[in-house]
Amino acid sequence: MLEIRDIRTSYGKIAALKGVSLDIREGGLTCLLGPNGAGKTTLIWTIAGILRAQSGSMTLDGEELTGLKSHTIVGKGVVTVPENRLVFPEMTVRDNLIAGAFSRRKDKTGVMADLEDVLQRFPRLRERASQEAGTLSGGEQQMLAVGRALMARPRVLLMDEPSTGLAPIIVEEIFAIIGQLRDEGRTIFLVEQNAHMALDYADHFYLLEQGHVTFGGRPGEVDHEELIAQAYLGARKAS
Amino acid sequence: MDYFFFIDLLQSLTDGLLFGTTYALIGIGFTLIFGVMRKLNLAYGAASLAGTYIGLLAFLNLGAPPALVFVISALGAGVIGLVVYYCCFRFTPETVPMASLLASVGMLLFIDEVVVHLSHGMPYPYPSVFRDSVIEIGEVWVRGDLLFVFLMCVVAMGVLFWLLHRTPLGLATRAVSQQPRAAQLCGIDSARVNALTFVIAGVLGGVAGAMTAAAVGVLSPIIAMGLTVKGLIVVVIGGLGSIPGAIIGGLLVGAAENIFLLLRGVTERDIYVMLLLFLFLTLRPGGLFGAHAGRD
Repeated sequence: MLEIRDIRTSYGKIAALKGVSLDIREGGLTCLLGPNGAGKTTLIWTIAGILRAQSGSMTLDGEELTGLKSHTIVGKGVVTVPENRLVFPEMTVRDNLIAGAFSRRKDKTGVMADLEDVLQRFPRLRERASQEAGTLSGGEQQMLAVGRALMARPRVLLMDEPSTGLAPIIVEEIFAIIGQLRDEGRTIFLVEQNAHMALDYADHFYLLEQGHVTFGGRPGEVDHEELIAQAYLGARKAS
Repeated sequence: MDYFFFIDLLQSLTDGLLFGTTYALIGIGFTLIFGVMRKLNLAYGAASLAGTYIGLLAFLNLGAPPALVFVISALGAGVIGLVVYYCCFRFTPETVPMASLLASVGMLLFIDEVVVHLSHGMPYPYPSVFRDSVIEIGEVWVRGDLLFVFLMCVVAMGVLFWLLHRTPLGLATRAVSQQPRAAQLCGIDSARVNALTFVIAGVLGGVAGAMTAAAVGVLSPIIAMGLTVKGLIVVVIGGLGSIPGAIIGGLLVGAAENIFLLLRGVTERDIYVMLLLFLFLTLRPGGLFGAHAGRD
């Protein structure tokens, strides 16, 4: 569905992505694993149009996304749940959600119906609908960030490290939500450091190391422990 | 305390609070622009005054009625605000804050020169309304023209509040000022929001400029300096980035100014306003409403 081919992105002279290619398949959860500094967030921001790729191409069902502005990309249905959630702290939960639907603000009845759906999905957000988002707990803010992204009616949902900074029990809750979204047939691209948790849910996964994709496949095809240890610790597991 | 002195004090306070709403508007303008871009637009006061001059042109050349002159002043300042955005902010690198700051200083000087040359540095009569009407509340006189200034500024604030809290554009503006990255990820075109914020701030500045001129019945190029300096004092006192802060700060500066005027005379008035600024910078640098936590 979303094809990424030989994407290169740099910060000044420092190359962060050195030719990344991967496929995000329709109706599945594609996961990108990798250690800190591998370029995972850079890839998300490049797809979202916040960072500009120097070369390479990204196509959504054959339609070129490379070089488009971020708000246009959202309009095409590629929607990001950013790392650290980035909710609007001084806006109410309800306004945060409505802001998520900004690209389709003309469709007022549709937006209101989706708002109701999201509040149905996350009853905790309904309880706090009139509260400022800055007063929510980390887990609630993550739910809000997911809900806000859903308000844009995503065709592809990009999720950047949804487990960052959350207590283990909350992380499980967030992953349950991700699993539920996957089961609804949504297309999800999940970037995670929490490899074990992510692999439980992934249909496909890739490994990103120092700006290169070093592995791509299905969970269960290979010895994960071996791969992960290698990627994260930079050494082969003693055998 | 002497009874008549007390009445004088009340009178000064009333005039100051009424006129202080123009300072509040200018402060709001600085704060709005800072809110979405985290950058200071030092050309703002001059741009607002230039808009007022556009209204004056309509008054002198076409004999436009006061209401129309005020509207043209406000809209003119909105257009000039947009020009300032494109000249000083749109294309300057985001990572070099000094670039847009100095560009806006250049713009301040440029606009000032243009206004001084076109007006030959001379003051011109500017339409004023309700000059001769006065409402007496006990011993205190509420001047009709000042009351009009006050009401117009309050209406401008009301419209701004409605824009910010009841329209999609306002939602986008608040989103960009609270979390610019996330705003982009919500599909908000932040460059467009920035441009529109400059227009809205410009219109508010134009209202402030027109009302400043209407309160004295004269438009003079030196008002630019007053708008710029007072506006900055207001945002320092109120807290840069806070709209309620700008309103309180504006009223406070207006009131303090008039009380110093009464106590120490016109020559010393501004010294004490500056001292007030100094006090705030030393004791409460974040302003009354504190600085917001940094972005990201």
